[in-house]
Amino acid sequence: MLDDKEARRLLLRTAARDEGSAEAFERLYRTCAPLLLGVAQRVLGRRELAEEVLHDGFGAIWRTAESFDPLAGQPVAWMVAIVRNRAIDVRASHDVSRVDSYHDALEDDPDGALDRLFDWSEDAGENEDRRRATKWLRDCLGELKAAERQALVLAYEHGLSHGDLATHLRKPLGTVKTWVRRGMENLRACVEACMVGPR
Amino acid sequence: MRIGNGTQLDALCGEYMLGTLRGAARRRFERALHEEPRVALQLRYWQALFVPRFSKMIELQPSPRGWKRLERELGLARYRAPWHSRAGFWRAWAAAATAMLALGVGFQLLRPAPEVTPLLEIAQLTGKADASRVTAKLSRDGRTLELRAARAVVAGPAQSYELWLLPAEGGAPVSLAVLGSLDARFALPPGQVGRLRTGAKLAVSVEPAGGSPTGSPTGAVILVGEITA
Repeated sequence: MLDDKEARRLLLRTAARDEGSAEAFERLYRTCAPLLLGVAQRVLGRRELAEEVLHDGFGAIWRTAESFDPLAGQPVAWMVAIVRNRAIDVRASHDVSRVDSYHDALEDDPDGALDRLFDWSEDAGENEDRRRATKWLRDCLGELKAAERQALVLAYEHGLSHGDLATHLRKPLGTVKTWVRRGMENLRACVEACMVGPR
Repeated sequence: MRIGNGTQLDALCGEYMLGTLRGAARRRFERALHEEPRVALQLRYWQALFVPRFSKMIELQPSPRGWKRLERELGLARYRAPWHSRAGFWRAWAAAATAMLALGVGFQLLRPAPEVTPLLEIAQLTGKADASRVTAKLSRDGRTLELRAARAVVAGPAQSYELWLLPAEGGAPVSLAVLGSLDARFALPPGQVGRLRTGAKLAVSVEPAGGSPTGSPTGAVILVGEITA
């Protein structure tokens, strides 16, 4: 995986559409495709669909690189969002029952999933702000109610919809929607409190 | 439709990032992102709060045909720098020239280069039984790992041994190999090259044939040793 600074440079070079854009885009692919394929696979659970989503996702990255705002966004997160949204769409449009046999096999261990999905360790190469933000997010996830945390992790990792969550957790749709909404609200409030608080 | 302020906008940003905003509601939100600056600003704020780093554990190698297909379908050839202006071309040329020179010198000295990659011992894995000591050696280029058991250790028909890396910085164990015997030599997964450093540990667990079904150790850990590279 490459750092955000290098990813930003490569995205800008890709968007420039000049000689050398293809090289920049190829390097972006070589370094980021394994992560993006992993993200798609966790949502879809089927390798051939995940490879298709990766392909379409990179097509979209090539076409829309110029709309990436280098001052605003984190480039890796931007690419992940493109691929994840596609994977979620494909999941919704495919034979869900088949995909669900994979999701039935999920173990409901949100903490294990959080550590599988994200790297929470301190990275010496990162700047201080980023390091603190990572720590706050992990701490705040830990402070959520277990049901809220589980709903958020399942929805994020596997792209489950409210309906999927309700089926999987065997709870009424309204309850699950509340968990998701409150979970995100509480997470945000907690991270904000960390930002202003004396930590 | 205009998106309301405050709570409603925050709820939409949260659900959009999480992925639970679907169908028409997501399309409406995405349209608003382009048309209404305050919506884009608020989403940007949300994104800045949540910036986790993804774990290498979820990475998968795409099919080797993937890039070729993308390159063809997007017509990338016309966005390539011409061959003579590419740094890579001159680097390759320099490497080739150096290799030719080295080859010439080699012939003159009539001394063939040694073919074996030297291996350096990086860890001793030990368990309860002292006799079952395993030495781990790493090739100089860090890509090949060799295990040598003091005493032959072979898995039963329904078992495999799985070798794990316990990263120095903490985090979940990473599977390096599924083995039938603790005398083995194999290429490390590309993502793990360079991670077998001082402070990390190697461990061997007993798993069902074919390796752990969950991606984490499920059976008894029989050997463990710290890396001192």
